[in-house]
Amino acid sequence: MKKHKFIHQRRPQWKKFEQFLRQVSSRSLSKLPADKISTFSQLLREISHDLATIRSRGWGHELTSYLNDLVARGHNLFYSAPPTNFARFYRYLAADFPRLFRANIGYFLIASLLFFLPMGVSWCVVQNKPELASRVIPEEYLSQFDNMYGEEGGLNSDTENTTEGNTDSEESEDSETDSFGDQRATMAGFYINHNVGIALKCFALGVLLGLGTVYTLLFNGIFLGAVSGYIISQGNGDRFLSFVISHGSFELTAIAVAGGAGLMLGNAIIHPGQRTRFQSLQVRGLEAVQIAGGAAAMLVVAAMIEAFWSPADIPNIVKYSVGSGLWLIVFLYLTFAGLQSDRRLPSQHSLSNSPQQGDQHR
Amino acid sequence: MASTITLEETNPDTADFPETFIPGEKKILGLEMQVETPENVLLSYQLAGPSQRYVAYLIDFLIRTIMLIAIFMFFIAPMMGLLMPGAMLGLFFVIMFLNTWGYYTISETFFKGKSIGKHVCGLRVIREGGYPITFWPSLLRNLARSADSIILYGVGITSMLMTQRFQRLGDLVAGTVVIQERSLTLPRKPIILNKIKPLDKNDIGSFLPRDEVLSLIDEFIGRRHVLTYERGHALAAQMAQRLAKRLHYSGDEKKVSQYPMAFLASVYKTFSFGQIEEEQELLDEYKRRSDSQGDIYEET
Repeated sequence: MKKHKFIHQRRPQWKKFEQFLRQVSSRSLSKLPADKISTFSQLLREISHDLATIRSRGWGHELTSYLNDLVARGHNLFYSAPPTNFARFYRYLAADFPRLFRANIGYFLIASLLFFLPMGVSWCVVQNKPELASRVIPEEYLSQFDNMYGEEGGLNSDTENTTEGNTDSEESEDSETDSFGDQRATMAGFYINHNVGIALKCFALGVLLGLGTVYTLLFNGIFLGAVSGYIISQGNGDRFLSFVISHGSFELTAIAVAGGAGLMLGNAIIHPGQRTRFQSLQVRGLEAVQIAGGAAAMLVVAAMIEAFWSPADIPNIVKYSVGSGLWLIVFLYLTFAGLQSDRRLPSQHSLSNSPQQGDQHR
Repeated sequence: MASTITLEETNPDTADFPETFIPGEKKILGLEMQVETPENVLLSYQLAGPSQRYVAYLIDFLIRTIMLIAIFMFFIAPMMGLLMPGAMLGLFFVIMFLNTWGYYTISETFFKGKSIGKHVCGLRVIREGGYPITFWPSLLRNLARSADSIILYGVGITSMLMTQRFQRLGDLVAGTVVIQERSLTLPRKPIILNKIKPLDKNDIGSFLPRDEVLSLIDEFIGRRHVLTYERGHALAAQMAQRLAKRLHYSGDEKKVSQYPMAFLASVYKTFSFGQIEEEQELLDEYKRRSDSQGDIYEET
């Protein structure tokens, strides 16, 4: 058959497929009526065949690339993933995230060690020798902490943001009488932007052989420990601890979780096992990002608690008990959530894109 | 591909032109990425290079900045004057967070692998198997952006230059590639050959050029404007002389040497359109027969 005859004969089909592509790309393929979808699939296969024919006969680059693009677009639409929805999101938080977390708990433990151990050490050291605090923390921060957690400095509202400690008392009165929670909403947004950003970065830097993650964990551990030690040594321990205990449950755990996910990335490159390094990175990376996503969700919760509950004017004893309760909740969530659905068939792992994930849960 | 063939490399005894397309052959350097589909067809994608992606990045960056400023000026700031200034500021922080960490993921997930900048530059993110990108890989490749962006994207650019598919670290982790989308245009079917006369049957032997040769001439003539006149002539002369020899062309020698392009065109016309009338008759007959049986092409 001659080239032109072939083109002449097949062109109506190609034009039809083009039209289909234009139609479908504005909507989803699944919203088309059934007979149209079967036409689409038939056309896709026919045109794939045309492409193979043209290639094998060497009928020119232009024609090949035209058909190639047609098939490529059709392929892209035909094999597209099902859309994400809220049921999936709920399922992810309720089962998939904690389950993936447990499957890779070793990384979390190492990250915890890298985070909490330096934190404890610097805490103890600085609490005993407060003069060492200035080695880690800049001087202007230190005076800021004195203001914040001192007797007259209100923990209410936006003190962490503004350094003008003098106007605090007036502002806190305003915020309580006028619009409760309004100033705190600012802080909620600030915490989300700031803290979740740090955690995500901590995860992402794991691509650099895990070095970025290790650095971030160590740095934040030492820094936070020094801050805690310093504030307690200045005699503001009670105010400080009652402030941090509630959101600390979600926040500190989530940092370690994100760090663990970052270490997963690093380890995937260093110890690829029987895969190539890139394959290993891709398989483990897909798990790691789902864990990091969970950590981000936890940090959003932490930001809400930190903004609205932690600075509230509530007796310390209540804060301590609620805080301990929150630690328990985090522990229970990560340990037991999604445990029942583990017994389901592996085929129901909706979010796991790679077969390896399913293997690990069994 | 076909257009880069040089005649010098051919062995005149065995082939008119060498086979250049060998499926599955590993390419050392090039912008092509090949993927095998479930229909067992090799698809080739045109990869996007660092410079194109940089332009797309700049456009996205501009849009993100303008978006933030616009939201603040026209939404947050007026509302702050009216009610709940704190909550509005908090909302702004959340928007800022989404803008920093979510812009690419959201747009790539919902617009099938395109952010606005990529759309403008005609780029698209796909997975290495040719599949469209989904939420988690997209999130992964865009979180890893913070590792890539170290030293003004130095890490990302280094990684792109060191991998065959121009992947930055984020792409490597998520198993994605950025491709160029080409526009769908069916090559214009017959070149206007009205002025060209087919060769006289008495001037040529019985040799029939292969389809590839005719396609090559077809494309060569179609794209002749790309080359300068002299270069086009030089290339056409080689091919024309070779063809004249094979055809045992005994007509006007001047035509081959002085107007090689015209000669090629007339060869093309001779063999591509000579039989068209006969073929048309056959086709009509075939159609008449298949109509009675109910052709599937007519139905669809």
